[in-house]
Amino acid sequence: MIRNIVGDVYQIGEYVEGSYGYEAVLVYVIMNEQHPILIDCGSQLHRTGIMQEINSLLAGRTPEYIFLTHSELPHAGNLQQVAKQWPNIKVIVSNVMLPYIEIAPILPLSQITSEAAGKTINVGGRTLKFVFATLKDQPGSQWVFDAQTGVLFTGDGFGYYQSAEQIGKFSDEVEGGIREIQFRDYHRTAFHFLRWVLPEKFNPDLDAIFAQLPVKIIAPIHGDAIRGDIPTHVARLKQAVANIRNAV
Amino acid sequence: MNTIVFGEGLERVAVRPITPDIFWITHCLGDKAQDIYKNYFSMLPNAADYSGHRIVDYPFSAFLIRDEKSLMIDTGAPRQQANTLKAVEYVLGDKSLDYIWISHVELPHAGNAPALKRRYPQAQYMTVRGGEQYALHGLEGAQLMAPGEVIDLGKHQLESVEPLFVDHGLSQWAYERTTGFTFTADWAHNLHEPAKNECFMFLDEMETAGYSAALHCDDVKVNAWYQFPWLKWTDPDEVCTAIDAFFARYDTKILAPSHGNIIRGDMARYVPLIKEGMRQAIAM
Ligand SMILES: [Fe+2]
Ligand SMILES: [Fe+2]
Ligand SMILES: [Fe+2]
Repeated sequence: MIRNIVGDVYQIGEYVEGSYGYEAVLVYVIMNEQHPILIDCGSQLHRTGIMQEINSLLAGRTPEYIFLTHSELPHAGNLQQVAKQWPNIKVIVSNVMLPYIEIAPILPLSQITSEAAGKTINVGGRTLKFVFATLKDQPGSQWVFDAQTGVLFTGDGFGYYQSAEQIGKFSDEVEGGIREIQFRDYHRTAFHFLRWVLPEKFNPDLDAIFAQLPVKIIAPIHGDAIRGDIPTHVARLKQAVANIRNAV
Repeated sequence: MNTIVFGEGLERVAVRPITPDIFWITHCLGDKAQDIYKNYFSMLPNAADYSGHRIVDYPFSAFLIRDEKSLMIDTGAPRQQANTLKAVEYVLGDKSLDYIWISHVELPHAGNAPALKRRYPQAQYMTVRGGEQYALHGLEGAQLMAPGEVIDLGKHQLESVEPLFVDHGLSQWAYERTTGFTFTADWAHNLHEPAKNECFMFLDEMETAGYSAALHCDDVKVNAWYQFPWLKWTDPDEVCTAIDAFFARYDTKILAPSHGNIIRGDMARYVPLIKEGMRQAIAM
């Protein structure tokens, strides 16, 4: 399903059923005129559908960059396919990742650049800022902020499970937005370390990101984009983290 | 059998017995380590506070238990696939591989599972119960183990262990009951220096050659800081209490992390040092 989120930013995705409802596995595309940028490339399970949708959205344009939030299969499982179709694509990852071993040997290492959190780069005329991924499983994960549209791409962070009726709907199209329990169920299963995390230490770090960046939309890979009412959703996520800790 | 090395550089894999039937299959860079890890310490907060003059190396290990039924703990990464298979074949000869046991689904741990399965089609994937979306993570059809469940291999009994410190949702550690071999995946590992020929050494051999408790503690700290960025939000006392409880429960005679040199015995000396490293990592 291809949906326009805001401006020239689109989401493409598949939804897999699990014990808590459906889990989205999304790819984001910034069209960026003649210099499209992919954020992750989806699961190998959905190779055919994902590649068809990327191609139909790009309509003949060649993506110049793919930013990998991290290298797990649901995020990078189609990299081989992407590299096959666009062999000159440049890959951008976190500088904590070791591309030689964390990315399958399908592209020359010279096409992979590593960037540190906090750095701002110009990618095909677009200003992207790399952001410390506060909620991540792999250490070599990174979030990225698109200043032009105010979209913060958060990888596994801010993921949530959704009902069949919610599939493909943005938060503003769902009565009441994304609920705390949806964040809680996802974060508890994705991030087992949260049982150790003390909310009073964690919350200021999360708040600092939103104090620094004018985030208008949160775009997780495992949940449709969260459009608007960012403070409410950040507060619910913090509540979810606190509830996971309190249940220990 | 001594250490046998297959290939070189980015593809190099060594195999070395830890016990007569438990084999350490490990990749590290040796001479090439300086290309990859020269900034390992400079990325840290207060970089000057660490023993950062060293050119260190970082292994990626799997462990093969050869028995009536043979089991491989993790698989290494695709970049080292050909040499990993050579190492496994070297150890097993014409025996079969029966289980491919996955600690968590990152490429350096699970990335050669499909290749091993192609080579040994009867091998069964094993991973931890209670997760979500196994197929999405490439583990469709895996046999699932809850912590405390044991696979009987013949002479060895491998118990699935609830991990203390993890990144992924789907994660497990392991304890082999006959040898006291404890596998802790991404936790509690040191670094080593290729220039001092420390590649493929056991930790006690490194110590004989000058590796100190202070360096070890520093390495545990630095690696934990990288590996578990969430540690800064935890309570150090709670973490240390859990480490004590873990080693009280699992009588560890061999400590085998994925990314360090192997510790053989004397855990009473190492556990306090590892706890101190964790305490310092939390405070970084
Ligand atoms: Fe992930
Ligand atoms: Fe994910
Ligand atoms: Fe690891």
